[in-house]
Amino acid sequence: MIHEMKHTLRTRAGAPWLRRRSRRAALAAAVVLASGIAACDPGEILLVEDPDIINPADVQSPAGANAVRLGALARLIAATSGGTAGGDNIFLLGGMFADEWINGDSFIYRWEIDQRTMTSDNSFLSGTNRSLHRARVGAAQAAELMAEYNSTAPGWQAAEMHFVQAYTVNILAEHFCSGLVFSEVVDGQVQLGSPETTAAAFERALAHANAGLAVATGAPAADSARVRHALQVVRGRILLNLNRPADAAAAVAGVPTAFAYQTRHSATTESNYIWLRNIQERRYSVGNNEGGNGLNFATANDPRLPVTASGVRDDQGTPMHRQGLWPARETSVTIVGGVEARLIEAEAQLRAGGAAAALLTLNATRRAFFTAAQLPDLTLATTEAGRVDQLFRERAFWLFGRGHRTGDLRRLIRQYGRSPNTVFPTGTWHKNGSQYGPDVTMPNPSAELNNPNVQQLCIDRNA
Amino acid sequence: MKIVRLLCASALAVLACAFDAGPAAAQAGTVTGRVTDASSGQPVPAAQVRVAGSTLGTLTNESGTYTLRGVPAGTATVRVLTIGYGESSQPVTVSAGGTATANFALRASTIALNPVVVTATGEQRRVEVGNAVSQIQAAEVVERSSVQNVGDLLTSRTPGVMVVGGTQTGAGVRVRVRGTSSLSLSNNPIYVIDGVRVEGSTGSSTVSVGGTTPSRVGDLNPEEIQSIEVVRGPSAATLYGTDAANGVIVITTKRGVAGPPRWTYYTEQTAIEDRNDYPLAYHGWTAASKPNNVTQCTLAQRAAPAPGNCIQDSVTAYSPTRDPQATPFGRGYRQQHGLQVRGGSESMRYFLHGEWEDEDGVTQVPQFERNYLAARGLSLLPEQRSPNHFGRITGRANFNITLPRNSDLAVSAGYTSQDLRLPMSDDAGTAGIAANIYGGPGFKHNINPTTGDSLFGWREFTPRRVYQAVTTQSIERLITSVAGNTRPAEWLTLRGSAGLDFTQRTDNQLCRFSQCVGADTLGYKIDNRANFFVYTLDAASTATRQFGRDVESQTTAGVQYYRNVFNRNGARGNQLPPTAITVGSGAVKFADETTSESRTLGGYIEQRVSLRDRLFLTGAVRSDRNSAFGAQFETVFYPKLSASWVLSDEPFFPGLGFVDQLRLRSAYGASGVQPGTIDALPYFSTTTLLGESGERPGIVFSALGNPDLRPERSTEFEAGIDGTFFNSRLTTEITYYNKLSRDALIERVLPPSAGTGGTVRFENLGEVRNKGWEGLVNAQVVQSDAFGWDMSLNGTTNDNELESLGGEASIVISSTLRNVEGYPLNGWWSRRLTGYEDKDGDNIIEYDTAAARSEVFVSDSVEFLGHSAPRWEAALTNGFDFWQKRFRLSAMVDYKGGHMIYNNTDRIRCASRNNCRGLVDPAAPLDEQARVVAVRQHPSKTVAGFIEPGDFIRFRELSLSFDAPESLAARVLGSRQVTATFAARNLGILWTRYSGVDPEAFGTTGDAPSSFQAFAPPTYFTFRLTLGL
Repeated sequence: MIHEMKHTLRTRAGAPWLRRRSRRAALAAAVVLASGIAACDPGEILLVEDPDIINPADVQSPAGANAVRLGALARLIAATSGGTAGGDNIFLLGGMFADEWINGDSFIYRWEIDQRTMTSDNSFLSGTNRSLHRARVGAAQAAELMAEYNSTAPGWQAAEMHFVQAYTVNILAEHFCSGLVFSEVVDGQVQLGSPETTAAAFERALAHANAGLAVATGAPAADSARVRHALQVVRGRILLNLNRPADAAAAVAGVPTAFAYQTRHSATTESNYIWLRNIQERRYSVGNNEGGNGLNFATANDPRLPVTASGVRDDQGTPMHRQGLWPARETSVTIVGGVEARLIEAEAQLRAGGAAAALLTLNATRRAFFTAAQLPDLTLATTEAGRVDQLFRERAFWLFGRGHRTGDLRRLIRQYGRSPNTVFPTGTWHKNGSQYGPDVTMPNPSAELNNPNVQQLCIDRNA
Repeated sequence: MKIVRLLCASALAVLACAFDAGPAAAQAGTVTGRVTDASSGQPVPAAQVRVAGSTLGTLTNESGTYTLRGVPAGTATVRVLTIGYGESSQPVTVSAGGTATANFALRASTIALNPVVVTATGEQRRVEVGNAVSQIQAAEVVERSSVQNVGDLLTSRTPGVMVVGGTQTGAGVRVRVRGTSSLSLSNNPIYVIDGVRVEGSTGSSTVSVGGTTPSRVGDLNPEEIQSIEVVRGPSAATLYGTDAANGVIVITTKRGVAGPPRWTYYTEQTAIEDRNDYPLAYHGWTAASKPNNVTQCTLAQRAAPAPGNCIQDSVTAYSPTRDPQATPFGRGYRQQHGLQVRGGSESMRYFLHGEWEDEDGVTQVPQFERNYLAARGLSLLPEQRSPNHFGRITGRANFNITLPRNSDLAVSAGYTSQDLRLPMSDDAGTAGIAANIYGGPGFKHNINPTTGDSLFGWREFTPRRVYQAVTTQSIERLITSVAGNTRPAEWLTLRGSAGLDFTQRTDNQLCRFSQCVGADTLGYKIDNRANFFVYTLDAASTATRQFGRDVESQTTAGVQYYRNVFNRNGARGNQLPPTAITVGSGAVKFADETTSESRTLGGYIEQRVSLRDRLFLTGAVRSDRNSAFGAQFETVFYPKLSASWVLSDEPFFPGLGFVDQLRLRSAYGASGVQPGTIDALPYFSTTTLLGESGERPGIVFSALGNPDLRPERSTEFEAGIDGTFFNSRLTTEITYYNKLSRDALIERVLPPSAGTGGTVRFENLGEVRNKGWEGLVNAQVVQSDAFGWDMSLNGTTNDNELESLGGEASIVISSTLRNVEGYPLNGWWSRRLTGYEDKDGDNIIEYDTAAARSEVFVSDSVEFLGHSAPRWEAALTNGFDFWQKRFRLSAMVDYKGGHMIYNNTDRIRCASRNNCRGLVDPAAPLDEQARVVAVRQHPSKTVAGFIEPGDFIRFRELSLSFDAPESLAARVLGSRQVTATFAARNLGILWTRYSGVDPEAFGTTGDAPSSFQAFAPPTYFTFRLTLGL
């Protein structure tokens, strides 16, 4: 039939009846097609789904809240001993700003930090600052979701979220200048914060630590103890920053010396960036009397900080020192520990006039991990300044590379009356003959100016 | 939503009404005839023959004949248009059922402008179009010059189009049309092949070799292209819809011509050489240099007071590229063999093409490495010995089928299968070839501290290690379309098309166990597989009406639907056992998956009116909806208006004998660029962590989203004058354009304190203006059988300004790039090196903290230093014909200028590689010294001294071709046609103000690339033989 019709069409094309028929047929087809399109819903045609993303509604469940909690811990690892491609972490940058690390590569923004002449556009600083806030905000989101959707979870899980917030707020305040901003994300909406002084930031961190300790309970007991001790130590650290050494010592009482709250690394999750940047890439070399005031980390031959000298840095021109604390991509990092608790107690003792007691605490700590042959007892320094130096050297070697040194140097200025040029690296910079700058704090990143509540990045650049 | 639906429906309703409203079909007849060259009498194949005021048209066959059926009885005007000839028309009287004859003898035009252009609504006479249209007759260019890719075809051949080519075999190109408009979205034009939208992204790779990346435009084979039209801006691109604001590159592939099969074989044999002078590395020797040779005495140290000073004994200079033993550059080789056939009948025409191509780049194993390997009985694998290689097989089949009842069907399919190998180059960390060349110590025998071997002046790693990392990209790509049209009445055309561009991309990178450098010696394999799907559906109807003798109307309504789907699976295996080369054999494995999709539904209606065939007016509106628009935004409308007035045809126009045609034209239109698929959405994403109880999955907050997101909207006005003079021996075009992009999508940097995963979110904030002039002059200066001289000059100016940032003061992109209101996009910014003075007369520029003694001067704050994109471009091509046009010599030089280039290579050499002349050599010019002191010792650490004027003139192309007389071709080779071409591409820089290796030595394809440790473009010497069998 169809074949026959085609044949007819072909042979009789042009006949008037056919033109009329074809016009009607085309008209009918066009009307049908127009009706079809009119009936279709462009919204449906344009609807696409992206499997790569998770919608906010999808985390509003016990499992979702728990996953966000774990995400916050991942953020903490990235901000401290981990990192992001092309970026570093606060441990590395803070250590290079102080005297723990010296620069080994050609990146100008790393040079700025090492040389104490930082600009607010520094991408390493802004990346690290952002990374710490991600951990902080992530923990706050997790706490909110857990409270609403996973209220039966053990208390230590919520407490750990408070620990993350306390830790990150404190370490931000230890490194960056006064004028810190803490924004929040509530129900998916950003509530932008306003600049706070360094002291106010420490108080904010303290409030988180207190809140965490109030709920650090539940099974398993080992986990609640781990989180409780971590909160105790970070609380002591915050109180020390607030120049309340006695309260700090009280806060850390009972924390075992062997306690360690660790960030963990693996090849498939997050690499240890201290290993990566120092051993693997040679962008950071262990410092050695940097800028005159720096400690002899590289050559002290101290068992607390094994160092190997070999080869040259990434710049191919300067000698390389590799630390041995984190020799592999997978090596865990103790970001909070019992040793820090003892050091806080020793400082409180020293500040209370108990130099001998402080010395006993320091030496007992040495003995907890090393024999006298490996690490002999300290002898009491003869001057007050010497005893302070002794204490801070102990802190520097015990806590090397974990984000304490910049805060300590700032405390030496702020709490012990030292001048900046007696504690920070000073004089001729080690790479190209130019001079160290005057910075004692890191500038808050210029990107924070996109917050309308922020008119100036730093209230105060002093320690 | 309803509006789009209504428009879709109304488009077809208009069509339906047109059916019913049309006059009763008149009695029809047939017009037939032959089109020939007036001077030679030879047939003119593939000429367009149209009946004016209707949609009727056809093409002539190989013998120049044509047949038009269904022509309404009465008097009609038949018009013939084809490239290389002047337009011709004649009236013809058609009787019902009868056959009228109209033969045409066309007068050849000396300037080969195509009188027909392709628009979004179909083909149109050039004279009717209100905007400037750039055309490249690709088939001719390819046959007579050294063209390796589509980028070569576009480079400098048309005003308003800037092309930055790659510098290695297989590297991608960056194409910008009328400047840079978007702050944060792609500035790439869109590409349309035979009516089908195709993938044209740059940076198309997921494995890094340090900067150089392929672009998908590179997949297209120039040999299959008949012509390219560049739709330069929104004034012309409106009907292409959202995404067309950056221009449209419209590619038409070759088609068959009715007649017997015409076979054509061609081959190209090409030598490739890197003839660039790479900078010497310097070393200042001092007594302390020994024994490790690392210590040197720089100028600053020479001049410093004791005890920090040193005594410089001597200075050495060396570059591996200038040492035959150490250079990685050899002679690359490219060969290409292709076979085409075209022919057919009145009812079916065909074009078939197949080609094999192979190119081995200039990067090779240096002699000292060959010696090293031979002495130890070692060898590299074949793919490691040839680290930059490109192989491709392409095939195409195009069919044009004439169906009963005035219907046509075009079926096209092009397939590409290619493999690319790229070496670690540019800034591939410490392992890049270029990084190790630029960073050398300044003498030949530096010692590898690990092995004790000489590094032959390479910085740290030498090619035998670098080449062990094998990076490949495989492409399987099918571009296919089916397009049909039917003319149910002489005044009505319905057309529809569907097309698919499918690309399968496989990116691999392999370091075998104990090969490569650093941690990579443990071995790893990356295998990332991606699929790109671009679907096009297009339907339209065109109704043509003649009102009296003087007014012709054409109404077109249509709908279009685009769907882009991208999905990728990635896998990586680390720590491979010996001999293993698969992901699965890695001790540590990673996997990832990405999917994205975008859909656009648009409709348009266009009305054209022709008055006395002199004044042509066009008005149109397009409406789009897109899946990426925000939740608060539904439909966008883009209007268009244009006018073209052939002033010289008006009765009042004075009879100037030398004026053939003078035309005024103007156009206004709007278009847009859409945001990314999920840019409007707030969302979380996944992560993993190693916790107390092992590895666990987690979720992190990633993006805030922006429900108010809408597309960038660009509006453009252009006006111009086109002239043809002296019997078509001189044609001119001049165009002014002014484009304003509103609602510019800016990646607004989020305050870090917000704690979001993403650092930015898109907001519609800015306004960017691009304006300027474009000019084109084609002249046949001398024309005779013995000698001919033609000349083509095109030029462009572009004034780019960020007029508004929506209240933001500026956006800092990097330490040297900013977007600031009142300044161009991606401007160079830094504290300016304002001057220097050798105050103590020791010929050494020094910095001193005491201003009175310091010899370099730097501004107190960051300043604008210059544009990153050229503001002025021009290209001059001269062609000379000899011996009845049997020989043709052609040369092109081009100029780019008004911009600055960040010589980041010299910056790193001076700042940290410690080997630039200004740092070490007392004979170095003081300005070279000053910029070194500024970046190293001045507290500003300013790099401003390395941001240099980028103006240059390049000898881009030279070719000599020979067309053998037919008798000779037949006698010697038994061929119908023999054409031999000797051509060279990139013969060097004739003049430049830039001190780096080459002002186009960019490894990356970003909008403001710095020249950072990148190779410079090589030179191609090509011999091509074309045989018409």
